[in-house]
Amino acid sequence: MADIPTGAPGPRAPGQLPRQSTDSTMAHPLGALERASVVVKPATGRRPSLWEKRRRRRRDKHHSAKKCAFFRYCYYDPAFKYFIEQVLGAEYVALPASTKQTTELGAQHSSDYVCTPFKHILGDYIEALDAGAEVLVQFGGPCRLGYYGELQERILRDMGYDFEMLNFSVDIEKGAIGWAKQCMKVVNPNVKVGAGLLKLASCANMVVKLDAARDFYLANAGFERERGSFARVWESYLEALRAATADRDVNSAYREAMDAFRALPVDKPADPIRIGVVGEMFTAIDERSNLELDAKLLAMGVEVHRMMNLTNRWIRYNEPNLRVGAKDYVGYDMGPTSTLTIAAAVRYGREGLDGLVHAKSAGCTPEIDCAAVLQRVAQDFEVPCLYLTFDAQTSDTGLDTRLEAFYDMLAMKKERMRP
Amino acid sequence: MSDAATTRQAETAPAAPGTEGAAAQAPEAYLGIDIGSISTKGVVIGVDGAILARSYLWTEGNPVQATKNVVDELHGQLAERPVRIVGAGTTGSARRLVGAMLGATVVKNEITAHAVGTTFLHPDVRTILEIGGQDSKIICVADGIAVDYAMNTLCAAGTGSFLSSQAHRLGAAVEEFGEIALTSKHPANIAARCTVFAESDLVHKIQVGYAREDIIAGLCNAVASNYLNNVGKGKRIEAPVVFQGGVSKNVGVVHAFEEQLGMAVAVDPDGHLMGAFGAALLARDAGPVGEAGTGPFASGSFDSEAALEFTFTTREVECQKCANHCEIICVYRDRDLIDSWGNRCEKGEVRP
Repeated sequence: MADIPTGAPGPRAPGQLPRQSTDSTMAHPLGALERASVVVKPATGRRPSLWEKRRRRRRDKHHSAKKCAFFRYCYYDPAFKYFIEQVLGAEYVALPASTKQTTELGAQHSSDYVCTPFKHILGDYIEALDAGAEVLVQFGGPCRLGYYGELQERILRDMGYDFEMLNFSVDIEKGAIGWAKQCMKVVNPNVKVGAGLLKLASCANMVVKLDAARDFYLANAGFERERGSFARVWESYLEALRAATADRDVNSAYREAMDAFRALPVDKPADPIRIGVVGEMFTAIDERSNLELDAKLLAMGVEVHRMMNLTNRWIRYNEPNLRVGAKDYVGYDMGPTSTLTIAAAVRYGREGLDGLVHAKSAGCTPEIDCAAVLQRVAQDFEVPCLYLTFDAQTSDTGLDTRLEAFYDMLAMKKERMRP
Repeated sequence: MSDAATTRQAETAPAAPGTEGAAAQAPEAYLGIDIGSISTKGVVIGVDGAILARSYLWTEGNPVQATKNVVDELHGQLAERPVRIVGAGTTGSARRLVGAMLGATVVKNEITAHAVGTTFLHPDVRTILEIGGQDSKIICVADGIAVDYAMNTLCAAGTGSFLSSQAHRLGAAVEEFGEIALTSKHPANIAARCTVFAESDLVHKIQVGYAREDIIAGLCNAVASNYLNNVGKGKRIEAPVVFQGGVSKNVGVVHAFEEQLGMAVAVDPDGHLMGAFGAALLARDAGPVGEAGTGPFASGSFDSEAALEFTFTTREVECQKCANHCEIICVYRDRDLIDSWGNRCEKGEVRP
């Protein structure tokens, strides 16, 4: 509560406040300073009595008022919101859709040679801090991404921002306990641990449901009869998930969305062109990083397959088992997403998909290693592979040309092979 | 196609002034234009795929004027044996702009156009090497269809523009490069991985006194090895190999490819026109335009004089409806907006 000027007049009705205070100021012998403080007063609208009992705010003692923000990552923002609000019991700062400015902002403050996701994330953080975020969440990752949290924190501090960082790469060696302690320390010390764990399970469920619906979307949206009908359902599904507060809401939103998807009319040929997208965790999925690769492929009328998503990389990830499927090509775990990339490519080859698209950010070392293996996979299964490298400067036109040519090639081949 | 075509021919013949008599009976033909960063190529093909007229001119930073010049030259070549051009295809980096300008039926990327053109002329080809002004690509072919391709990505090293800027430095015309290179007995070894390094290495070799022909031959070798290391990496290059694009006219580079690959490399005399040829073939497959109503195809067949008379202007508008600030290109024929592109969402749509 603001300090109360001693020269203020006594009790008065709220409706009369402005007039009274102005009058009293005019009458007061002291100058402008006094006047200013009195003019500010009416906004509080409180009785200026010192003996009045302070009204106790009713609040959830397990809630934290800290405003937390994630970076933008694919279509997972409902899950991030759920994680902050339901699991940690804090406030979530929702970011509007990213623009070219976001990327420029991020690129401006990062080294040119750092891989592209770093630039995007940094841009998001700057926008989040400008939107009032107090805690930034960086979930780290199995590659250089694990180090980016600390680097980004330093850059932002050098820029003069004051904030806290919830970085899951810190205390990574302590595993889940270390992460939980970090969350409590940084965001909410009063978090309900038991309920939080249940909510965490339903957050994971949300991620699974998001990915399941996305798989259906990718397989069918390319053949929609009414342009934009799938995207509309997808948007309303995300909206429903953003409003979810319990597992029940997640499941019902999923059911409704899937019913709506299945009810949409599609003109799908019996033998459509099928393309498998493989690549690194960020660029293969994130529409901003890959210049809307999904939308571009779907617009050409392609059935898109993509094994890479959070469900398959984190929730249901079992590297040794996955490697068995690609044992002719990979003998040991090559790195963060390499096994998934190669195993997915081998599976797509076996299933007879028409083409592969390999998406990586510029300078992504693990995926550069994968490219050599993919060349062999492509030769063995006779499936053409398009290698795409994305940077913050990658042009849309160049990508369009390559994708169009790739599609033409697959379509002509399919036409010729048709009995 | 014959039924529809003949009825249309019968309908349009009296309507089009100045084309009565022999011209109305003239065989159908298709126009293909490939507008690259450096040069603009045009061909007119008959229905059987034979090239009737060909043109190759510099773009000189003005694709619209270059296209007009090409159309004019093609028109001049066809003065003796008149044809009715009933469809057009465009390709190359200015394909969209020129496609809108000509009212083309087919606007295709250059990779597809090259693959279509080359496999038509060389049905048995297995590998197509292509080096143009600013890009280079490799297309692998099996049984007459493209099965794999790659294109230079982040770097334009070893393309035509690199060669021509180095030619300028050496004071030789880039057209003579090939012959000079073949006279060399000991080609200089020039670092080929990167244009910048290649250039500084080249300057060094000049300064220490290498013979000019050795440097030029080294440059040609560098272009070939750079191509094979960057664009062709991981691709199986199998014979027969066809080399095309503007750089294929350089016999020095052809020789370098033959040596490095250890196999014969064929260069088609029309290799530099293959993109335009492919676009024309695709337009042929798409069939005649019909009556477009406006533009050069207003009467159903291409009126090259009208195409030369129209003025085409483009205007760049920065969309202010969100922070993306998309640059929207609007193309006007005389005063009418005929096409626009560049917007990422429907908010920035500009409709003719």
